[in-house]
Amino acid sequence: MRARDLSKGIDWGSLAPLALRSREVAEGVYAGGHRSARRGAGVEFGGHREYLPGDDLRWLDRRSLLRHDHLLVRQFETETDRALRLVVDATASMAYRGGTAPGAKLAFAALCAAALARIAVGSGDPIGLTFIGGEGPRGVPVSGGREAFERVVAALETVEPGGDAFTGPEVLERALGAIARTARRGSILVVLSDLLDMPAGAVLRVASLASAGRVVVVVQTLDRDEETLPWEGTLRLRALEGPGLVETDPSVTRDGYLRALAALRDEWKTALLARGARFVTASTNDDPVAVVRAIVEAVR
Amino acid sequence: MSFVTALALLIGLLAAAPYMAHRLRRRRGEERPFAATHLVPPAPPRARRRAELEDVALLVIRALAVLALAALGASPLVRCSRLSLTRSSGASVALAIVIDDSMSMRAAAGSGSRFDAAKRAALELLASSREGDAVAVVQAGAPPRVALAATGDIGAARTIFENMSPSDRATDLEGAVAVARGLVAQLPQVDRRVVLLSDLADGQPSASPLEGGDVPLWVPLPELAVAAVDCAVLSADRLRGVIRVRIQCSPDAPLALERRTLEVVRDGKVVTSVVPLLGVVDVAVADDIVPPLVVRLTGTDAVASDDQAPVVVEAATSAVAVVVERGSEALPTGGAPAVEQALASLKLDLSARPLPVVPDRIEDLSGFVGILVDDPPGFTPDQRRALKAFVEEGGVILVSLGPRAAAAPLGSSFEPFFERGVIWEKNKSAGADPKGARGMFVEAATSFTDLGAKERSVMTPADRERYETLVPWTDGAPLLAKRTIARGEVWLMTLPLSVDASDLPLRPGFLPLLDTWVDLARARVSDRRTPVGEPWVFVTGGKAAEVSGPRGPVKVVREGNVARAVPEVAGAYELTFAGGRKEQRVGAPIAKELDLRPRRATAPNTEAKLGDTKATVDVSWMVALVLLGLLSAELALRAAANQKRPAA
Repeated sequence: MRARDLSKGIDWGSLAPLALRSREVAEGVYAGGHRSARRGAGVEFGGHREYLPGDDLRWLDRRSLLRHDHLLVRQFETETDRALRLVVDATASMAYRGGTAPGAKLAFAALCAAALARIAVGSGDPIGLTFIGGEGPRGVPVSGGREAFERVVAALETVEPGGDAFTGPEVLERALGAIARTARRGSILVVLSDLLDMPAGAVLRVASLASAGRVVVVVQTLDRDEETLPWEGTLRLRALEGPGLVETDPSVTRDGYLRALAALRDEWKTALLARGARFVTASTNDDPVAVVRAIVEAVR
Repeated sequence: MSFVTALALLIGLLAAAPYMAHRLRRRRGEERPFAATHLVPPAPPRARRRAELEDVALLVIRALAVLALAALGASPLVRCSRLSLTRSSGASVALAIVIDDSMSMRAAAGSGSRFDAAKRAALELLASSREGDAVAVVQAGAPPRVALAATGDIGAARTIFENMSPSDRATDLEGAVAVARGLVAQLPQVDRRVVLLSDLADGQPSASPLEGGDVPLWVPLPELAVAAVDCAVLSADRLRGVIRVRIQCSPDAPLALERRTLEVVRDGKVVTSVVPLLGVVDVAVADDIVPPLVVRLTGTDAVASDDQAPVVVEAATSAVAVVVERGSEALPTGGAPAVEQALASLKLDLSARPLPVVPDRIEDLSGFVGILVDDPPGFTPDQRRALKAFVEEGGVILVSLGPRAAAAPLGSSFEPFFERGVIWEKNKSAGADPKGARGMFVEAATSFTDLGAKERSVMTPADRERYETLVPWTDGAPLLAKRTIARGEVWLMTLPLSVDASDLPLRPGFLPLLDTWVDLARARVSDRRTPVGEPWVFVTGGKAAEVSGPRGPVKVVREGNVARAVPEVAGAYELTFAGGRKEQRVGAPIAKELDLRPRRATAPNTEAKLGDTKATVDVSWMVALVLLGLLSAELALRAAANQKRPAA
């Protein structure tokens, strides 16, 4: 499986019943299917507040004015759209593909991202795409409709892995900074990354996105080799990002590696849960539909 | 380089010979790319691991033996330091000893700290004094203090030094030397001298060297003036589920935090730990973890005492909201907007939090002490209600007005800050008029004199009357104006902060302007942390007050209704007032003291004619014993290895 063949990598029909729902209220721009943080046109009464110049006179509470000589405005619950912001790690480490894997980590992440985009577009929600590193397209700004989905898929199919987030923290900052500034309350942020070569402080940087009522789901996408360290004998392992080069014997150091990997996962999980974000793990050998279902469940 | 030095270096290189031979025997494994390499522990090949324990022990012993031989050869050259006074005219001496008790003197020097070495040197100097000499003692921690006025009672001076302990104060060498000169300048002794016992690390390494002046200055401990690396936790503030920790290290030490961890500790147990970063680090902690908490850096550096700090629970919040509503997601360069970068460059304790839109609920604004809004298209009724409540409660808002503000859609306006709206029109003024600027804004206005903005916002005369102009355009219209509403303030700028409209945010004067506004905003945050050495003054109504700190009770000086105490060391303090009311305060280390680069000392200040500093000692017997021990250890190791080896 390659990122260029997204249309063949997943059973698109099995995604049809899925929809992105969250308990958080949304702060969208257009009408949609999610509970809005704002009051506006609707049928369910949402309370009173004092009249201010500029308010629509249609919602002035005449009874209150006549009884109490007090200008109050009636407010109503309304529904709006909820943007899905996909953040796909396209740094050099995501190019890794183990011997038993059907594809590279980037291809798997792109497949999951495309599936989530399809689900969001199907619900009428806008989607946006941002790459951490990568060579080629810069991402897709938030927009809605079938055309937006096509643009997201085109960007996912053409992006090439590249960039070093380990020694260049600006790669991460460039991707997350814009989202932190522009993502509205209630937006769903899905970060697909191996989390292996992130710079120091990345945990808190990603977790901080979960402020201001945003829903953040981090999906750690690993290869089977990275989950098991399957080799035997003396090896020299060269990092795909950063200057790391380690001489090791996996039969001796496997337990230590698995402990370090578990500690890394725990660190991310603890920091994310403390901020109300969610953490999902996935392997490139997993069924992509099951992974997408897990992400949709995590959002709820 | 002398012949002896060259020879010592050559012999020193021989110590690495066994290790080099060991490295040459290595065999490399197959290379393979792997993303999680940094999580994999290194392990040498099997063949080498079998012999590793024995090899390493022998390697160390042989290398040490080579070094010991070199040291034995160099033993006739070993000298030890011992200070004594020289008397140029053979008569008595008036001596002012300036001892540096600042935080940098806690750094290690030999077996103890630099302060211990300075104290030892002071006692050695006193031991060489004789009848008729006069001694004065000055402490160089800022502000300089006279510990003992000039006296002939050497015993009193000795007691002063024996009871003296280091503080975490900053350093004021120039002030202390000036005070010391004043103490001995009028004494009858012909031979007067100021002795400076310091590491010369006063945070100004490139400042001009300390000069001798009328009274000669002697700096007898050049070995203390060594640059070192130190990192400190300057502050730790808890706000809800996050502890905001500010860390700073010595300049020119980018890797000072490598392999160190930042831990949050309660009752000696680690609650959580993160990787520390220079600047501000946010550490998430669960809400059920109650104070007292301490934040500490693991590992070691020059000064250990500043590696931890008590966590202060903030009474107020400390963030500034920045609302820059732009069509695109980011600048073409991919970086943050200019105003965000300007706030970041100020290196504030407050964090700048970008928001996509002005929040329309009062509770969403409660997390900020100031709100900066760039060219908003008016405010909706909900936003206005929230902003009005924010300002009335003491918040500070800075609004820049541009083309979007002048084209506010129906239903949006700027009430109650101003009522009539603004006009975006052609600018006939060249720039700001510094002569019309208020007090602290004159300097900023000077850099705005030729802004060259093609257009600007203009307020109606009725709205202008409600505002006090801080910086005017050359035609008198306000460029920057402010208005007080209830407990808060609203600042207006009639140019947007976008670099497309003008280069105002890139001008040097923009930073001090922004700094002044942020200072105003942060004044809302209750200040329970003060730098060490800065006195706490509190009104006690003539009643007693007690202060206890990391070193126990702190002396409280009462003057009428007012009491005064000075925190000498960094850490948590508890103030107890009459009636049992308690208050927690924190003495924070001073960032300047982390710069351990020494200031230069001119040659006359270190000359031997001012005093003796060296004496020869015989250490050859100690080195010989060590060498003997090493040889015995090698023999024992070999014998043990022979016993383990199976018979052929």
